[in-house]
Amino acid sequence: MGIQIETGQRGLTDPEMQKVIADAVPEQPLESNRKMNYFVKPRGRRLSEYEILCCYTQPTPDWIPGGLDWGDWTQKFHGGRPSWGNETTEMHTTDWHKHRDPAKRWHAIYVKDKAEEWRYTQRFLKQFSADGQIRTMDPVWRDEVLNDYLGAFCFNEYGLFNSHSSASRDCLGDTLRMSIAMIGLDKVDNAQMIQLERTFIAKLVPGFPESTAEPKREWTEGAIYKGARETVQDIWQATYDWNEILWAGHQVYDAIFGQFVRREFFLRLSSYYGDNLTPFFINQMQLYHSQTKGITGDMFFHCLGDDAEFGDYNRRLMRAWTDKWLPRTVNALKDFMGIFAKIPEIEHVTTRDAIEVALTRVFDDWTEDYADKIGYKVDKAALIKTVLSGLK
Amino acid sequence: MAISAATKAATDALAVNRAPTSVSAQEVHRWLQSFTWDFDKNRSKYPTKYKMANDTKEQFKLIAKEYARMESVKDERQFGSLQDVLTRIDAGNKVHPKWNETMKVISNFLEVGEYNAIAATGMLWDSASAPEQKNGYLAQTLDEIRHTNQCGYVNYYFTKHGQDAAGHNDARRTRTIGPLWKGMKRVFSDGFISGDAVECSINLQLVGEACFTNPLIVAVTEWAAANGDEITPTVFLSIETDELRHMANGYQTIVSIANDEAASKYLNTDLNNAFWTQQKYFTPVLGMMFEYGSHFKVEPWVKTWNRWVYEDWGGIWIGRLGKYGVESPASLRDAKKDAYWAHHDLFLLAYALWPTGFFRLTLPTAEEADWFEENYPGWHEHYGVIYEEWRKRGCEDPNSGFIPLMWFIENNHPIYIDRVSQVPFCPDLCKGASTLRVHEYNGKKNTFSDDWGERMWLTEPERYECQNMFEQYAGRELSEVIAELHGVRSDGKTLIAQPHTDKDGKMWTLDDIKALNCVFSDPVDAL
Repeated sequence: MGIQIETGQRGLTDPEMQKVIADAVPEQPLESNRKMNYFVKPRGRRLSEYEILCCYTQPTPDWIPGGLDWGDWTQKFHGGRPSWGNETTEMHTTDWHKHRDPAKRWHAIYVKDKAEEWRYTQRFLKQFSADGQIRTMDPVWRDEVLNDYLGAFCFNEYGLFNSHSSASRDCLGDTLRMSIAMIGLDKVDNAQMIQLERTFIAKLVPGFPESTAEPKREWTEGAIYKGARETVQDIWQATYDWNEILWAGHQVYDAIFGQFVRREFFLRLSSYYGDNLTPFFINQMQLYHSQTKGITGDMFFHCLGDDAEFGDYNRRLMRAWTDKWLPRTVNALKDFMGIFAKIPEIEHVTTRDAIEVALTRVFDDWTEDYADKIGYKVDKAALIKTVLSGLK
Repeated sequence: MAISAATKAATDALAVNRAPTSVSAQEVHRWLQSFTWDFDKNRSKYPTKYKMANDTKEQFKLIAKEYARMESVKDERQFGSLQDVLTRIDAGNKVHPKWNETMKVISNFLEVGEYNAIAATGMLWDSASAPEQKNGYLAQTLDEIRHTNQCGYVNYYFTKHGQDAAGHNDARRTRTIGPLWKGMKRVFSDGFISGDAVECSINLQLVGEACFTNPLIVAVTEWAAANGDEITPTVFLSIETDELRHMANGYQTIVSIANDEAASKYLNTDLNNAFWTQQKYFTPVLGMMFEYGSHFKVEPWVKTWNRWVYEDWGGIWIGRLGKYGVESPASLRDAKKDAYWAHHDLFLLAYALWPTGFFRLTLPTAEEADWFEENYPGWHEHYGVIYEEWRKRGCEDPNSGFIPLMWFIENNHPIYIDRVSQVPFCPDLCKGASTLRVHEYNGKKNTFSDDWGERMWLTEPERYECQNMFEQYAGRELSEVIAELHGVRSDGKTLIAQPHTDKDGKMWTLDDIKALNCVFSDPVDAL
């Protein structure tokens, strides 16, 4: 048969065409190595599908550690700045391709998880409304705290989300770039879930203000989130080193401020005010926090902190960055203490003793999970004292 | 703290209001535009000469979770087909060998574009000020991860189930050896991420995606299916479902700068440069891959090009943007000329340099030569006679001691590389429009093949300094370069690249290449 086909003819299903193809295909495979990316060093015992699909997609030359290509960039920024360069971060490594998401999430796995969460969220909201669970919610908690202060926290998450844009542009590794984009999406998901909760309440409670105007006023002009707002703005727009953005955002600020606000304030207190709705959303945020912690922990502690050549230097730099961002984070938390004067008091729940215990949990976790890993000395009592000085 | 009377009344009413309800993605999305706030330091880290409007909207109105749901559904269909039915019918071994080789290149090179687009859209997400516009770019960032993984999956699938895994299984490492790679990086890597953010958007979304993904991702599925490959259409058509949103992002980029004074000054120049950049590589490479990398032919590349690039993009798509002052690129006319001969010119050079590939190439058969002559009158007289001479000298047989690169040297036909596009050209032999121009700058000679690229370089030479393969390999013996850059199969001696796909043909080894004593030189030195 001829080689010019008619529209719609397919080689697999047209018998004549398939015969031509079958005659050309070798009887035995020409290559016995059927493992894609066989040259990649696996993190586990064998190369995972995640490593096969993600590793070395980054086309950097060998003068960026870990790169497989040679030569310069084929087009640079105006003025000659390179497409990607070692100078975009103060961190050093022998291999920017070493990072792995501990959950081994490539895109399909990532969206499958989130799609399940969305479907379950839809089912949960229908059940929650049909069950009339909103009736148990304290009106002040609902109309003041959730509307204004959870609403304002939306902007915290939105600002942190935006801090991932330049990091996803500038970072030097493929698995890392994908991880950064995913944890960025999780942050905007948090912001959207907060607005989703407010919209949901507005559907159930006529008169509940769905608009973002009041929460935004609280975020931009109020005292409770002042320190948080200033810190988020600086992480997002005043920091250029993409590793510092991630360190400041995830290893310091969100690990302390974010954890207190989400876990120790909204999650812990909501049940005391008859709120069974907020924990549903906060727990999704906590799941994302925990997955992000795995990702950033792998990068900073395993890849950079334990790098054979640059580990000591990197840990020293992480300590220096912590020196820079910890006081701002503590100050943000101190400002946030003002919120306790806005809620109906419950003895040993919203009073100083309980707040101190909650703060201790947060700083204990942070010391063990972050500070200790880089040899950072923490005076927890002093930090907690500073934060508590913000109580009205 | 008192609650309002209205809220109190509403709260009381809840006692009887227990209708099941939920919140749709659109109900959340409509608040998105209000998620940002003004502050002193709020500006992009990637400056652009254009000002993107603060109130730019997006068209698809996705939130994070709805995005994930939509993509997850598509993934289920796609991976279900691949892992179930296509595997059961042994689809990997029912692909014509020539096309099996073509997909080593197309899938990996598209992966490069998709991967770099992650970074490109990260930059646009940073540059846009409107939250909806950021949201559109963000969804694209995630899409590009999806597409990177999908393209990888095609190579992965062919590695696992196909007839020749070599090249599919290590393309991310071996792609760097040959003459097609650096040009690929120019269009699909650096062109997307290095420059004014809007200029990068024009490269990626307005040209790369709106213009060339149609031939690259849609037309390729027709060629694939014709040649027995149902794996590629299964994946690439799923990729294309996302591309529509990306084209819309490009459209919105233009909308967002339409009222900016800078747009009237610079937009058409940036568009012209972006179009020329993309077409300079894709026009010859895609044409070459389709026509020379297939057995069954769908239609001449020049027709595909005219339909998708000239009429659909240059006419209809750009026409729609006319109200914003966008004009069809001035270089479109020159590109149309390239669409006729440039891919034939490129194949001549690619075949001459076949040992540096990570795929097998095949000389046109007699039947194909007739097809070329019928569709491109004058083909045989110019190219066909050369291939006949090469074949007569045994270029496919390792015992011949002949590779076509030697013919170029013997006949004094130097091959140069265009500094801006990184596309190789041979001014003596090209039937297309390429002509040699040379500029010396900072003690280095730079060669160019066309007016548009030369003009880009003359304006900003510091942007185009990348070494080419002849500069990099000068003085090195060919087999040594191949071995160092891992261009061999798992037996450690047979080349991944071969000059034929004949199942009974003998395969070339490193020793065969070494026996040629072929040493690279930089032809620019002789100028």
